[in-house]
Amino acid sequence: MTTTVRSIKLPFNRVEGDLDVRVEVKDGQVRDAWVSGTMFRGFENMMIGRGPLDGLVITPRICGICSTSHLHAAALALDQLTAVQVPANATRLRNVTQMAEHLQSDMRHLFLMFAVDFSHSCYQSRSFYPQAVQRYAPLKGATAIEVVRQTRRILEIVALIGGQWPHSSFMVPGGIVSVPSNADLRQCRHLVYQFRSWFEERVIGGSLENWAQLKTVTDLDGWCTDAAHRSAELPLLLQIGKELGLDSSGVGHGCYLSCGSLPMPAGEGEAEHLFAAGFMQKGKLRAWDPEQVVEDVSSSWFAGSTVKYPAISETLPQQNKPGAAYSWVKAPRYRSQPAETGPLAELLVAGQPLLTDWVATRGESTLARELARVVRCAELLPVMERWLRQAAGGGSYYLHPGEIESGSGIGFTQASRGALGHWLQIEAGKVAHYQIISPTSWNASPRDEAGVHGPLEAALIGTSIADEDHPIELGHIVRSFDPCLVCAVHTYRNGEPRSRLKIGLLG
Amino acid sequence: MNLYWLQCGAGGGDSMSMLNMDSPELTELCHEIGMNILWHPSLSNHSATEHEQILEDLLSGKQVLDIFCVEGFVIAGPDGQGGYDLLGARSKLGIVQQLAARARVVIAVGTCAAFGGIGNIGAIDAGGLQFVGDEPGGVLGADYRSGSGLPVLNLPGCPTHYGVLADTLMGLADGQLPELDPQQSPRQWFDMLVHQGCLRNEYHEFRVEEREFGDRGCLFFYRGCRGPLTSGPCNKLLWNRRSSKTNVGVPCVGCTSPNFPQQHPFFQTPNIADVPLELPAGVDRAHYLAYKGMAAASAPERLKKRKNLV
Repeated sequence: MTTTVRSIKLPFNRVEGDLDVRVEVKDGQVRDAWVSGTMFRGFENMMIGRGPLDGLVITPRICGICSTSHLHAAALALDQLTAVQVPANATRLRNVTQMAEHLQSDMRHLFLMFAVDFSHSCYQSRSFYPQAVQRYAPLKGATAIEVVRQTRRILEIVALIGGQWPHSSFMVPGGIVSVPSNADLRQCRHLVYQFRSWFEERVIGGSLENWAQLKTVTDLDGWCTDAAHRSAELPLLLQIGKELGLDSSGVGHGCYLSCGSLPMPAGEGEAEHLFAAGFMQKGKLRAWDPEQVVEDVSSSWFAGSTVKYPAISETLPQQNKPGAAYSWVKAPRYRSQPAETGPLAELLVAGQPLLTDWVATRGESTLARELARVVRCAELLPVMERWLRQAAGGGSYYLHPGEIESGSGIGFTQASRGALGHWLQIEAGKVAHYQIISPTSWNASPRDEAGVHGPLEAALIGTSIADEDHPIELGHIVRSFDPCLVCAVHTYRNGEPRSRLKIGLLG
Repeated sequence: MNLYWLQCGAGGGDSMSMLNMDSPELTELCHEIGMNILWHPSLSNHSATEHEQILEDLLSGKQVLDIFCVEGFVIAGPDGQGGYDLLGARSKLGIVQQLAARARVVIAVGTCAAFGGIGNIGAIDAGGLQFVGDEPGGVLGADYRSGSGLPVLNLPGCPTHYGVLADTLMGLADGQLPELDPQQSPRQWFDMLVHQGCLRNEYHEFRVEEREFGDRGCLFFYRGCRGPLTSGPCNKLLWNRRSSKTNVGVPCVGCTSPNFPQQHPFFQTPNIADVPLELPAGVDRAHYLAYKGMAAASAPERLKKRKNLV
């Protein structure tokens, strides 16, 4: 324990992109935190002057993990711009591919990028350690091997409908380019069945029908202690999480944002999305209003006005900006508030009972964010089955949207890591404006004009650290947000000021 | 055989593609060929201090480096020092240069590492390992050779095909150095066109060409498909064991090409007199026009009316 304030270095691999986290520690406790994106790759500026459909090719390549979500957002922006009515079955199949991507991302994140830390030798004195190594050791643990196999298989759905994963461009304004046969869709259903069987047996330990009955943390505790489920992954993860205090660490602002997940197919009910959009602040839910989204660049290396609206804001990098800028990530704010986004936010806003009860009784935490990834998979699987059945039998998957000359559109979707927006403007058949706000921009945002921390920064403050040379407690918190800095910082041709110590690792 | 993986200016798509290996799976591959992944940024669970030691041992030569994989474009700016992209106190540019000097084999995984890719569009002075676009050079220089005597092995694609990566590693584990084409890619996988094996080939033969998405015909003449112009095994290996972009109706975007991404709008074919401006390598325009005119004239109704289910 030190009594002096010390800035410490945090390693961050297993996040996509370049993440720097600096924390100030006193008496073994984090007093302040700065989260920075340190490379600006510049995708939005690359888009200017390009062809009207080029966003469908370029933007998925921002990120290898959620390329289908970027594609969906880009296509939705073009749908809106062209005012085309997307056929119901095209919406179903767009959704199903994105859901397959979510299953992939949630399971790879949970096991390969989060639980893998439990197999680190710093925990060798813990009773869970031998089991964690046996299950989660990189590429060797029994569960890690299973996760690699199952996530690879579920992505075959994206290839059957869209040609390949990652980085296809099969969603276009008006629907999808492909005409999947009934045989293709039966294969997709088989893949869902296969994944579901594994998920039920190995991840949660019981059937989705029974799982769906869990409404409270008491129900969940009962599920985990039931001998029939005890050998599955979730009971072990929750047990380790509680032992390490992850059910009380990582408490942020308590503001959650979802821009609505998976548009409902035309003619299927009144709801706009499968998981409704909204903004929740300290348990109080408000309607989603895209006009309330601004980008604050007070602490970011960008020039121009401090607060910008994404539909018109420009991306003007300014490496040597005077003042206290420390990140290439902008600070998106909703009603002037920072907002956490991701599976937990998505399901809380949608009113999912188990997570709502968990947060109401145990509070938000690192562990709640991970539990949300399991809950989301369980919610998605039956809907994928339903949409695949409904989409069979031919019908229309594409409506010609007409020539694209000019106009503007916004595409919102919930990527695996949370709220994603593409703002697009086309003039004279060319892209005139492209602005992207990605989930990690929300979560890993720096301080705003009012000095309010970003959600991840807030979640780090107050954390107790046992070993300042290996602050794995902070690692768990950071990873629970599943940061993707390649999404957050897009691009440009400037780097960090060289005087800054880069403390994060890797991209 | 050990392997060290460095991500530079990348979105991680090649690493994600690697996780899609199926025959063998990645976990099987490591076991089967005795490959030890010393470090992969998305998979390893070493602490920063432990990683630092691994890197130090490789740089000093204390630990032999068999395979050095680079994903993403390498940023040389500013002033050729690489300070825009750092790993700890080191520039990734410096790490690339130093590890390349130690490695038995260097693999550029994906188009960005091979040719610069997306990195070439801007002005951070980024490029591939031995090419910037189709110009030889890059951050290691055209004359670079690894310990095995090979130049950088380029495995282009956005992302690279996991099957190409797996096969390359399996061959290297056998001590076999692949035969390379002028762009330093294994001929085994790049001496073919994306067009070869496409399910739309019969439409192509009879010049049954689509002007719109959502149908079964060929996409080369109007919808910007680069399948007949692009090297790669997409339609031999297929993707995710199942299909390919061109099979489902997504025009090939030429992602293995040194000049990807193109400046011209995607999904539009520049034409002269309704025939693509750019023809497959070695094809005589006059003969091609004659052939395509006759092909269209002999097209059967079942294709013209899109009566086939595929």
